Amino acid sequence: MTDHNPSGSEGADHAAEEPIEHLRHAERDLEKALEKEQEARHEVEKAEAEVAEAIQELEHPRHFTVEILYDGVKKKFEVCADERVKALLDKALSAFGPLPNRHTLSLYKGGDELSDSQTLKEAGVKPHDVLLLRPSKVKGGA
Amino acid sequence: MAHQVNGGVLEDTFQHLRACGCGRRECQVLWLSSWDSPQAITKVMHPRHKSHLGGFVLDDQWLSDFWLDLANANMGIRVQVHSHPGEAFHSPTDDAFPIIHKPGFLSLVIPNFGLGPVGFNEAFLAEIQPDGRWQEVAIASRLMLA
Repeated sequence: MTDHNPSGSEGADHAAEEPIEHLRHAERDLEKALEKEQEARHEVEKAEAEVAEAIQELEHPRHFTVEILYDGVKKKFEVCADERVKALLDKALSAFGPLPNRHTLSLYKGGDELSDSQTLKEAGVKPHDVLLLRPSKVKGGA
Repeated sequence: MAHQVNGGVLEDTFQHLRACGCGRRECQVLWLSSWDSPQAITKVMHPRHKSHLGGFVLDDQWLSDFWLDLANANMGIRVQVHSHPGEAFHSPTDDAFPIIHKPGFLSLVIPNFGLGPVGFNEAFLAEIQPDGRWQEVAIASRLMLA
């Protein structure tokens, strides 16, 4: 006659495996949760960067308008923060022109002459600034 | 089309040239008119400048401030006027450093530090051409005393 009942030691092994398996499950769940947490952290960082970029764009927009004065006349110009002062100067000379002897004229902000090689951002030109198109020097003599 | 210059503008001009130059230094004034009526010269502006016997230089900050004032007043500069110690003519410095660079802009030179009679007698008038060069023009063809 065969005895089909599990032995006493097998039952004890099975009982011991259950919490171990439970622990493995819990570890896997924890790993998944940590991965999700990491992903969420990346999402938050990404969103924060986007918010910072939007604020930067609001405070220092890339595209904006400035006004330029020449001989009592005011004209508006659409500009890009990354464009060179020289490019804006050329646009102004054409808009107010024809102005011969273009090399004698420069753009000024307040009393300061803007460097042709700088970008508008580097030169400190901001939205709605009023720039002057004027000669660098006015003199005469016999 | 000639600019209309009233007697008061001419009187004021000579007064500045004489008082500022004292017969020893050159001096400059600017003739302005409204953009609503560009041909009618109505105002004389005496710029802040440094001058000596044979020349003058406008103050840089004054020029920037004046640029803003002009726009606020809706006025433009039509003629630059300056005195010479002796004969009136347009020197290379006058050619190279005007306040306005547009074709049609006028530069009037008054002889003898403006100490002579008020008027255009022996004065010299030059005009910027489309190619940027200055050319002498007859005063009566560009300036009309009103």
